[in-house]
Amino acid sequence: MILKDKVGIITGGSRGIGRAIALALAKEGANLAFTYLKSSQEAQTLVQEIEKIGRKAIGTQTDVRDFEKSKEMVENVKKEFGRLDFLVNNAGITKDKALMMMSKEDWQEVIDTNLTGMFNVTRHCIVTFLKQKSGDIINISSVSGIAGMSRQTNYAASKAGMIGFTKSLAREVAAYNIRVNAVAPGFIETEMVASLKEDYKNAMIKNIPLGRFGKVEDVTGTVKFLLSDSANFVTGQVIVIDGGLFIQ
Amino acid sequence: MQEQQLENEIRNIIAEIIEKKPEEVTPDAKFFEDLGVDSMMALEIMAAIEKKYKIAIPEEKLSQLTTLGETIRVAKEYLASGG
Repeated sequence: MILKDKVGIITGGSRGIGRAIALALAKEGANLAFTYLKSSQEAQTLVQEIEKIGRKAIGTQTDVRDFEKSKEMVENVKKEFGRLDFLVNNAGITKDKALMMMSKEDWQEVIDTNLTGMFNVTRHCIVTFLKQKSGDIINISSVSGIAGMSRQTNYAASKAGMIGFTKSLAREVAAYNIRVNAVAPGFIETEMVASLKEDYKNAMIKNIPLGRFGKVEDVTGTVKFLLSDSANFVTGQVIVIDGGLFIQ
Repeated sequence: MQEQQLENEIRNIIAEIIEKKPEEVTPDAKFFEDLGVDSMMALEIMAAIEKKYKIAIPEEKLSQLTTLGETIRVAKEYLASGG
């Protein structure tokens, strides 16, 4: 077990990639706190599943857009578990539209959740990490933020912003033994991809060199690696998990 | 704990972190202007004091650590309440 008795926070943990990461890290021995916004039922189920693995879990309904609420959540995790070792900034939404049809709200909600949400939660964890001179931060970005994607100007901007944040913070806190990395998944089989149109999906799959959409396990494997001692000399990196779709 | 002992201990903690001689850390010398302390050093000072006295100082107090005198005042606040 690579994370035995460590404690971590995963934002947006109740569904999709966040949920898969939570389960995978629990199997590696971590006790977990995760946030969710709407999916109370799914959150409750996840707590039970993590407990079944034999680890502790706290699911908190926290809007990561809210600076003060994010602080409360982080403080509560430290109080309940008595320590904090890593953070996975995963909470994210899409509001895909052509720019000419995009409202200010479509723009703002995506930026506030994906980018400012990451800032809020990281801001409240960083002092703890600095003081203890250890900590790992993984930001879940997207290939959209690297290669760009039509109808995703808002999402791509937020995900590219996460990459800039990752690289800057990695430089800033490296002297304190804190590593900051990002993963950039491509098309992964989650609700987010399921909502895409069928003919678009079929066209997309033809462009993926590995000939399939990714599975959540493809993402969790990389996250586990980045949180493990095997990645002790890796910081400020963005690992693309897209089956070769956007090989640069 | 004796007042003088506390002052000496905290002075030594600060001097070690900011790599100055203890006598340069006078009660009123300003950390940022006079002693070249940066925000990360201030945080290290806070963390070192927390560790030594087994107390927890809230992050919000960080901006109040501006001189040796002020740092002692903040530390005492939490020493008195038993952490």
